[in-house]
Amino acid sequence: MAVRGGARLWGLPLVALLLCLVFGLMDPRFASLSNAQNILRQSSILLVVALAQTFVILSGGLDLSIGSVIGVANVLGAMVAVAHGFLPGVLTMLAVGAACGAVNGGLVALFRVSPLIVTLGMLSLARGAALIITDGMTVGGLPKTFVALGWETLGPIPVIAILAAAGFLFGWVLLGRTVAGRYWYHIGGNEEAARLSGVPVRHYKLLAFLMSGALAGLAALLHTARSASGHPLAGVGLELSSIAASVLGGISLRGGEGRPVGVLFGVLIFAILGNGLTLLGFSSYLQLMIMGAIFIAAVWLDLRSQPPA
Amino acid sequence: MARAAPFRVQILPVVLLAMGSVFALMEPRFVSAENLTNVARQLSVLAILACGQLFAIVSGGIDLSPGSIIGLVSVVSTLMIVEHGIAPGIAAGVGMGGLLGVVNGAMVAGLRIPPMIATLGMLYFARGAAFALTGGMPVERVPQAFALLGKGSVGPLPVPAVIAGAVFLASHVVLARLRIGRYILAVGAGEESARLAGIPTRFCKAAAYVLAGFLAGLAGVVLSARMGSGQPAIGEGLEFESIAAAVLGGAKLGGGEGRVLGTVFGVLFLALLGNGLNLVRVSSFTQMLVIGAVLIVAIVADRLRQGWR
Repeated sequence: MAVRGGARLWGLPLVALLLCLVFGLMDPRFASLSNAQNILRQSSILLVVALAQTFVILSGGLDLSIGSVIGVANVLGAMVAVAHGFLPGVLTMLAVGAACGAVNGGLVALFRVSPLIVTLGMLSLARGAALIITDGMTVGGLPKTFVALGWETLGPIPVIAILAAAGFLFGWVLLGRTVAGRYWYHIGGNEEAARLSGVPVRHYKLLAFLMSGALAGLAALLHTARSASGHPLAGVGLELSSIAASVLGGISLRGGEGRPVGVLFGVLIFAILGNGLTLLGFSSYLQLMIMGAIFIAAVWLDLRSQPPA
Repeated sequence: MARAAPFRVQILPVVLLAMGSVFALMEPRFVSAENLTNVARQLSVLAILACGQLFAIVSGGIDLSPGSIIGLVSVVSTLMIVEHGIAPGIAAGVGMGGLLGVVNGAMVAGLRIPPMIATLGMLYFARGAAFALTGGMPVERVPQAFALLGKGSVGPLPVPAVIAGAVFLASHVVLARLRIGRYILAVGAGEESARLAGIPTRFCKAAAYVLAGFLAGLAGVVLSARMGSGQPAIGEGLEFESIAAAVLGGAKLGGGEGRVLGTVFGVLFLALLGNGLNLVRVSSFTQMLVIGAVLIVAIVADRLRQGWR
C-alpha cells in the first residue's frame, strides 16, 4: 500500500524537463511540433507494455513473456483482420493477449509456481507459436484502417498516442481508484498479510496477469498499426525494456510499491533520450550504452535517497 | 542445502534416457558417434554459461547479462587476436568477462542494487559496447589456429566439450567442496543469518557475479572460436537459456539451493531435446514451442508432486 512519494515523483518530471531543455538548446529541430509527435509515436507502444508489466510487478510477479505474447497476438490478429476485417482483428488481438495472460496467471495462482519460470516458458512457447502460424513470414494486406491508426493525427496529436493514453488511463484508474487496485498493491506488499485479511489472493493474481495480457494485446494493435503488417518477431526484447521503464518509473521489483504516473515518466524519459541522442548523431550502439548506464545510475540514486527499510 | 533435490532433478536422468531411446528409435543417426560429438560441441557454450548462472542464482540473485557479455567478449577477444596474437586475445576475452562480472558484483554487493536491475543495465551496456567497438561489423581475418579451440578435437572429444567438462568439475568443487561455495549457498538461503554467522556476505555475493562473468567470458571465447570470427550480435537470448538450464536442474530462484550435477542434467536435457527434434525434422519454430511447454510442465509437475506428499 505504501505509495512512494517525495523525491521520485518530483525527480522524474524534472529529469524529463531537463532533458528537453538540454536537447532543445543543442538542436533546434528537437523542439519542433513534428519531433514532439515523433516522440509521442515512439513512446506509445512502450507505454502500454510498461503498464502491462506494472500490473504484474505491483502484484508481486514478473512477466518475461510480454514481448512474445505481443508477437502471437499481432500475427493472429493480423490474419483475422485480413480475412474478416478490422474490428474482428482488433478483438482477436485483445483476446489472444488476455488468453495468454490467463494461462500465465492461472499457472502462477493455481500451482504457486515462480512467475519468472512460467513466463520464461511462455516467452519461448508464444514466440514459437507465432513463428509456426506464419511459417516465419510477415502477414501483409491489412485493412487500411490500421495504417490510418498508425500515422493519422487528431489535431496535433497522433492517434496512436491517444490509444496509448486511453490504455494508460484505464490502467491508472484500475490501479489507483478501485478495490482491485488496492488488493493488487496489498498482495504485492505482503501476500500472507493480504490472505489473512481476506483478500482472495489467487483470484487477483490471475486477474493481474489477465489485465497484463489484455494490455499486451493493445500493444500488439499499436504495433500492427505502426508497421502496417503482422510480424511474428514483433515485440522481441520488449519484456526487458518494459521492466526497465517501469523500474525507472519507481515500480519496485519487490512488488506493492510505485505509481502508474511514474511509469509514464519512465517511458517518456527513455523516449526523449532516444530521440534526442539520435538527433545529436549518436549511433544506436552508443545509445544502448548510455541508456544502460543511466538506468543503473537512476535506480541507484533512487535507492540511496530512500530511508533504509 | 541438505534437502533432497526437487522431483524434476531426481527423474531427469530417467527422462533423459527415455527421450534418448525415443529419438534413437525414430532416427538411428541420433546415437551415432558423429551426432553425439556434435551435441557435445553444441552444448558446451550453454554448459559453461549455465554454471555461471547457477552461482548467481544460488547466491540469491540472477544474471541477465551473460548473453551480452558474450557479444562484447567475442569482439574484444578477436580484435586482440588480430592485433596481438591468440594467447593475448583469449586472455583479454576471459579477462573482459571477469571484469564485467566484477562490475556486476560491485553493483549488487557494494551499491546494493537489485541483481535483476544491475544485470539488466549491463545487458544493454555490454551489447551497446560490442556494437560500438566494431561499428556493428563482424571481426574477420581471425587466424585459423584460433578456430581449433572451437572446431578441434582431443582424441574423440571436441575441445569445447573438454573445456565444458572442466568447468563443470571446477564449478562442482567450488560450490560443493570449497568454503566459498558453501558461503555463497548460505548467503542465498538467508543473507541476514549468514551475516550473523560471520560470513562475509558482500564478498560472497560479489564473488558469485565475478564467477558468472568470468565463465561468460570463457563461453564468449569458445563461441567465437567455433564461429571463427568476432560477432557483436551473438549470445542474444542465452541469458534466458542459461536460466532455464539451471532451474530445470533444480536451482531454486531466490537462492540457497542448487547443484552442478543438476545443472549438467538441465543442459543435457535442453541440448538433446533440441538435437533430437532437429534430427526428426521438427522445425526450429516448433522446438521453441516444445521447450517452452517443457519448462512449464516441469515446474508444475514439481509443485504437484510436493502437494501430494
